[in-house]
Amino acid sequence: MEYEIVIGLEVHVQLATESKIFCSCPTDFESSPNTNICPICCGYPGVLPVLNRKALELAVRVACVLNCRVNKRIYFERKNYFYPDLPKNYQISQYELPLGEEGFLVLPSSKKIRIKRIHLEEDAGKLIHKEKYSLVDFNRAGIPLLEIVTHPDISSPEEAFSYLNYLKMTIQYIGVSSCDMEKGFLRCDANISVKKKGSESLGTKVELKNMNSFRGVKNALSYEAQRQINCLKNKKNIFQETRLWDEIKQKTFIMRTKEEAHDYRYFPEPDLGDFIVDDILIESQKEYIVELPVAKRERFIKMYGLSDKEVDILISDLSLANFFEEANKQLFQPKSIANWILGPFLELVNSLEGGMDKVELSPYNFSKIVQYFLEGKLNNLAAKKLLALSIRNNKPIDEIIEEEGLSQVSKEDELIAFVEESLKENQRAVNDYLGGKQQAVMFIVGQVMKKTRGKANPKVVRELIERKLKQKE
Amino acid sequence: MSLELLDLHGWEISQKIKETKISEEEVFSFFKERIQKLDKHINSFVEIYSNPVRESKESSLCGVPIAIKDNICIRGKRITCASQILNSHNAVYDATVIRALKDKGLSIIGTTNMDEFAFGSSTENSCYGPTRNPWNLECVPGGSSGGSAAAVAARLVPFALGSDTGGSIRQPASFCGVVGFKPTYGRVSRFGLIAFGSSLDQIGPITTNFVDCAHLLNIICGFDEYDSTTSKKNVPDFTKSLIDNIRGLRIGLPREYFGEGLDSEVEKAVRETAELLEKEGAKIVEIALPHTQYAVATYYIIAPSEASSNLERFDGIKYGMCKKNEDLLSLYKNTRKEGFGREAKRRILIGTYSLSSGYYEAYYIRASKVRTLIKKDFEDAFLSVDAILTPTSPVPAFKLGEKVDDPLSMYLSDIYTISANLAGICAVSFPCGFTKTNLPIGAQLIGRPFDEETLIRIGFTFQQRTDYHKRIPPLVGG
Repeated sequence: MEYEIVIGLEVHVQLATESKIFCSCPTDFESSPNTNICPICCGYPGVLPVLNRKALELAVRVACVLNCRVNKRIYFERKNYFYPDLPKNYQISQYELPLGEEGFLVLPSSKKIRIKRIHLEEDAGKLIHKEKYSLVDFNRAGIPLLEIVTHPDISSPEEAFSYLNYLKMTIQYIGVSSCDMEKGFLRCDANISVKKKGSESLGTKVELKNMNSFRGVKNALSYEAQRQINCLKNKKNIFQETRLWDEIKQKTFIMRTKEEAHDYRYFPEPDLGDFIVDDILIESQKEYIVELPVAKRERFIKMYGLSDKEVDILISDLSLANFFEEANKQLFQPKSIANWILGPFLELVNSLEGGMDKVELSPYNFSKIVQYFLEGKLNNLAAKKLLALSIRNNKPIDEIIEEEGLSQVSKEDELIAFVEESLKENQRAVNDYLGGKQQAVMFIVGQVMKKTRGKANPKVVRELIERKLKQKE
Repeated sequence: MSLELLDLHGWEISQKIKETKISEEEVFSFFKERIQKLDKHINSFVEIYSNPVRESKESSLCGVPIAIKDNICIRGKRITCASQILNSHNAVYDATVIRALKDKGLSIIGTTNMDEFAFGSSTENSCYGPTRNPWNLECVPGGSSGGSAAAVAARLVPFALGSDTGGSIRQPASFCGVVGFKPTYGRVSRFGLIAFGSSLDQIGPITTNFVDCAHLLNIICGFDEYDSTTSKKNVPDFTKSLIDNIRGLRIGLPREYFGEGLDSEVEKAVRETAELLEKEGAKIVEIALPHTQYAVATYYIIAPSEASSNLERFDGIKYGMCKKNEDLLSLYKNTRKEGFGREAKRRILIGTYSLSSGYYEAYYIRASKVRTLIKKDFEDAFLSVDAILTPTSPVPAFKLGEKVDDPLSMYLSDIYTISANLAGICAVSFPCGFTKTNLPIGAQLIGRPFDEETLIRIGFTFQQRTDYHKRIPPLVGG
């Protein structure tokens, strides 16, 4: 018997606004606990919310990029439940009339994942559990969140993984959020059910929570799909319930059953009026929509003749993709530029705190390094050193080469003395070579490189050595 | 001079201060001593400040004392809503109206008693005990702004602020014989008013007369960037409406407001008021507000629904009372069980029920639809009249304890005031007569949205011809 997996995802994205959604506190939630708070986001008696326009704008931008129908008139509702991290014991959210409805995201596989709804809401605070008591940090309370809910269109954990990646990239591309899941800028819950292949009716759905990475989502879904399939095979019941993913045990555990589900008592938030999302607002946000990841991916593959794998990395970060294109404009060597970016460049970027944001090196100077390497003016080692020296300052490349004496020595008359010296000092390698061991030449090349402190052009050195040895034969 | 202060308007006192005929300190001490001497009988104050809370010395009303209902935040001062659950809480910020009062140099003298969280029509539901009516200590002052109304009636303070969700300014004003104004929803910022029913609440002035009322409205009205529900409409100078001329104004008497349950003495006084206004040149017409009979039922769905949510924040975690316990649920339960009074619990239950899944459509949604119809009634009526005249309350002040165990009859005492809140329009109660037992009777004027001016004009004209507003309760020196 074969089974089909049916998955829907609910993603929360933190919007990149400077202040919170209903007050003017900063959104930096990593500051020391309860420093970015005020009476409004702490729900003091008598306070009122005022909507941050920027949050609405960013939300509209996402609704547009995900092809949603944007409701012209929206309002907020109160979602009521008691929890100590929720200052007012209700969350200002949207329910009946969300900002966006019925959109979609197309994956590179050309599978279309339909978006059911997108809505704006405020985040809650954070509980810090100690052995005998718990503490509340309200820094996060009131940070603007966008909830993005799909239809149950996803049919495998891998597809869920792909959806999350492309959703993240899309939102990053339009400057709405960093979507960093490890830092909590993006959170994901999943609904999953299984059914017999071809069956019309859906199986009982289970909600999964507590996944902390995209890989975690994928693993949790794989585990849960298998668990449910096993239930069906063994004729056991699947219950509608919420389960938590345990990253260490790589298993899901029951959190609550349907009977324990909350009644949130939604009703329109009387402290905020209606908001009109007019064409001017929508058009102003559409201007931020650039070439999206899936289109860029296709174009890079066609235009630059790069492999899928190379392109996937290049487009995973818009600034990286732009860096690549800018650098290539100077040199027209996409393959080499890509190799240098994906290799030494990214290695350096990843070691920087702050990644691409901290790169000062211009694509132009980068292309020059690659160019000098290709021309033989710099050897591999020197080029890498130059890259490391310039990545955070963008000093003129030629200046650094001069200062550091990195320029490669290719002239035979400057190298011949080193070659002859090395041949004399390494008689055994010479004999090995003459005895037929071709690879012994590389040892001698290495010795010359050492003597020239890496500056010699290894290709020229090898030719010189081979010529000399041939004379001896 | 001191005795004379009793007969002066707040506005007149400020003029005396300006003319340096009396000092601000003398004025403050005069009223403070009066409170200390008399309020033990009335219990209208929750807290009396030893020194006035004031900042600027500018503006027309500088140095005039004002009392604030105990649900409006004054920075650094205790605020409790007359509830145990908040009783150790000090406000950490100023309400926008308090900011405005401070900027205009008024002297805040203290906070006044109220029904807990403004739930009530008699000021009996208070953790500080009931306030008494200065006209008859056996009677209630009305509620929920009973402390503010009683204090102004007893001339313990010239001005007070109240809040009105279903009549909480107007009904006590009528019971105590003073002017209580509920501005149009959105006219006055609610920022810093501890919410009861957010779509209904409005702060308003309680004074003895319309001159003071207009001056106070000038100070507290206006758009506030901290309250999204305030209107950006231009605020006129309300003192320009203190015109002794109502010729040509059309005033409607809604027939639904003169039916069953209306006390005959109240009816007589209100009809005589209409006659006086007619004599002054107004045109009196009978009108219909056909959905009036549904107002109380609608209100008692919407207001408790919003209240049940607004009061969720009082959970023992962040401020106020906390009954620590082994687990979270018990902490919540015990804090709220001990912290809230009976009426608060009743309203939380009603509201929670009507918002619950399965009941929401039948109650909250349906009530919202009826609310639209009630609003429409007024829109239609205002096509043919400029203002509406009604009784404020069907009965004069009732006895303490009389309705405590009969919440329905208590709720019905707001039957004439609730509609203005549901429709979001302005309304004012002013004294229009006295019963044979010398209890004040209040008449209510209801106006178009943002047309407070017409109400002030009619009220001012009426007070030029009558002296009900000048009478002082005998118990406090009248």
